[in-house]
Amino acid sequence: MADINPLAPAMPLAIDPEIGGPPTAPIGGVPPRAGRPAVRFGRLGPTLVLILCAIFFIAPLLTLARYALQNVPTIRLGASTMFDKWSLSGLTKAFSDKQFGPTLRLSLKLALGTVTLTLALLLPTAIWVHMRLPRMRAVIEFVTVLPYVIPAIALVAGIVVVKPHARWFLDSDYSLVPFYVILALPFTYRSIDAGLRSIDLKTLVDASRSLGAGWGTTLRRALVPNLRTAIISSAFLTTAVVLGEFTIASTLLKNTLPTFQATYVKREPQGGYGLNLLALVATTGLFALLTVATRKRGSRKVKSALTDPAMAETMAFAGITRSQQGR
Amino acid sequence: MTNIIAASDGTAVGGRTVRAAPVARARKRLSWAWLGVVPFFAFLLLFLIVPAISVFQQALHNNDGSFGFDAMKAAVQGQNLDAFWFSVRFSAGASAVGVIIGTLLAYAAVTAKRPKWLRSLVTSFSGVAANLGGLPLAFAFITLLGRQGVLTKILSYFGYNLYAGDFQLGQVSGLITVYAYFNIPLMVLITLPAIDGLKASWREAAANLGGSSFTYWRRVGIPVLMPSLLGGFLLLFANSFSAFATAKVMTDNSKIVSLRLGFFLGGDINVGQDAIGYALAAWMVIIMGVCMGFYWMLRKRAERWQT
Repeated sequence: MADINPLAPAMPLAIDPEIGGPPTAPIGGVPPRAGRPAVRFGRLGPTLVLILCAIFFIAPLLTLARYALQNVPTIRLGASTMFDKWSLSGLTKAFSDKQFGPTLRLSLKLALGTVTLTLALLLPTAIWVHMRLPRMRAVIEFVTVLPYVIPAIALVAGIVVVKPHARWFLDSDYSLVPFYVILALPFTYRSIDAGLRSIDLKTLVDASRSLGAGWGTTLRRALVPNLRTAIISSAFLTTAVVLGEFTIASTLLKNTLPTFQATYVKREPQGGYGLNLLALVATTGLFALLTVATRKRGSRKVKSALTDPAMAETMAFAGITRSQQGR
Repeated sequence: MTNIIAASDGTAVGGRTVRAAPVARARKRLSWAWLGVVPFFAFLLLFLIVPAISVFQQALHNNDGSFGFDAMKAAVQGQNLDAFWFSVRFSAGASAVGVIIGTLLAYAAVTAKRPKWLRSLVTSFSGVAANLGGLPLAFAFITLLGRQGVLTKILSYFGYNLYAGDFQLGQVSGLITVYAYFNIPLMVLITLPAIDGLKASWREAAANLGGSSFTYWRRVGIPVLMPSLLGGFLLLFANSFSAFATAKVMTDNSKIVSLRLGFFLGGDINVGQDAIGYALAAWMVIIMGVCMGFYWMLRKRAERWQT
C-alpha cells in the first residue's frame, strides 16, 4: 500500500521535447528505445555541424588578424614565434596614408546620401502603396528584386554605355548615390514593407488625421516612430553595403574606401590587411549597434532586427547585395 | 418577405445598387492613386532599366555594326562558352554546399535546446556573416588558404601539400570554399522560417501511423522543405554567379564570367570586341532573370506552410 505514489498518475504523461508540453497527439507504436545509436547520433550530428561551422567561420578572421597585426614572415611562423611582434603599426601606417582620409570621407558621404535618398524615396512610396494601392504590392515587391536580375557588374556595363551622354552627371563622385539606392532596393524595401505590415497603418493615419495633423506631421509623429526598427535596419544595412561597394566604384574609377583598400594591399600588405580587418570589425560593430538600437523593450522575449524571423529575408537579401557588389 | 430581409442586412435585392457605388468610387480613386508611385518607377527606369536596356542595345550588333545576334552568339562560343561553363560549375557547387550545410546548420540551431541563446546566436551570426566580407573576406581567405596562408603552412608541416592537386583560390574548389562563407549563412536565413514551419504534430502524426523517422523525412519533411531548398539553391546560384569583387581580389581567372566582363569594361580586351563584352553582360542578365523568376515561383509555394 505504501508504495503507491500519489503522484503516479501524473508520471506517464511524457513531456514532448519538441513543444515542451504533453504530446498533442497520442504517440502509438514502439516508444524510442533508450541507448539506441540513432538517439546519441541525433545529438552528436548537430553538435558536430555547429562546431565545424564555428571553426570554418572564425579561422579566416583569425589568420587575417595575424597578417594584419603580427610582423613575422610566414616562412618563420611556428609554435615558437606565435606570440612575437604583435603590434598596431601596420594599421597606424594605413591611417596616416594621405589617401585614407579622403576616401573614407567620400564613402561616408555616399553612405549618408544613399540612406537619405532611400528613405525619401521609399517611405512615401511604400506608405502610399499600403494605403491606396494594396494590389500594387505584389508588383512593387517583384520590381524590387530586379537589381538581382541586373547585378552590379551588368549594371555598371550599362552605366559605361550611358556615360558619354551624361558626363555632367556621371563624372561627379556623388553620381554613385542613385545607383547605390537601386542596389540596396531589395532589402531596404523589404525592411520597410515588413515594418508597415506589422502596424495598423490605416488606423494610425486616420487617428492622426482626425486629430488635425497634416501629412507631414502624421509621417513624422505617428508613422516614423512606429517604423523605427524598419528604418534603422535599412539605414544600417545600406551603410554597410555602401562602405563595402567595390564593383561599380572600381569600374567607374571612383576613389572610395573599398577601392583604396584594394590598391593599398598591393603597396603595403600588412597595412592593407589591417584595413580589411578593420572593415570586418566595423561591419560587425555596425550590426551589434543595430541589435542594440532595434532591441524591443517591454516584451519579455528580447527581440531585435537580427533575430526577428520577419527580418530574415531582409538580412538574406542584404547579404546577396553585398556579394554582388561588395564581394 | 425578401424585401424585409434585404432591408435588414442590406445585401440581397437592393444590395446590387448599394454595392455598385463604392466600387465606382474606388475605381475613380484608383485612377489617380497610381500617381503616387510615379517617382519610384521613374527613378527605377532612369537608374536601372535604362542602363539595362543600353546593355542589350549594345549587345545586339553584328560584326559590321548592324542590328543582329552575331555578338550574342559569339559570347557563348569558344573561350566565352568555356567561361560560362566554368562559372555554372563553380556556382552550382558553391550553391549546393551552401544549401546542404546551411540547412543542416539551421536545423541544428532550431533543434538544439540546451543553450537557449544558441538559436539567436546562429541567426545573429548568420545575419552578420552573410553581410561580412566584400574585399575583406577575400583577403581573409588569402591569409588562410593562399600559397603563403596559415592553413597551407600548417598542412605542409604535416606533410600535406594543399597545392599539389588543382586547388587554387581561383579554381572551382577554392571558389566553392570561399563562397561557402557567405552562402552558408545566407541559406540559414532563407531556410530558418521553413524549418520553423515544420510542426511537431506532423512528426507525431507520422509516428502515430507507424512511420519511422526516415519515413517522416521522406514523405513529410523533405517535401514540405523542398520549395525552400530549391529556391535557396537558385538564389545562392545567382549570388555566386554574379559575385565579382571576391573573385577579383583572389584571382585573374578570366574563366569567371563576372571577371571576364570586368576585363571587357576595363579595356583589357580590344575595343573592336566591345559588343561581345556587352553580350556577356546581356547573357548574365538573362541567366539571372531565369534564376530569379523560378525563385519567385518557388518562394510563393514555400510560403504556404509558413506563418
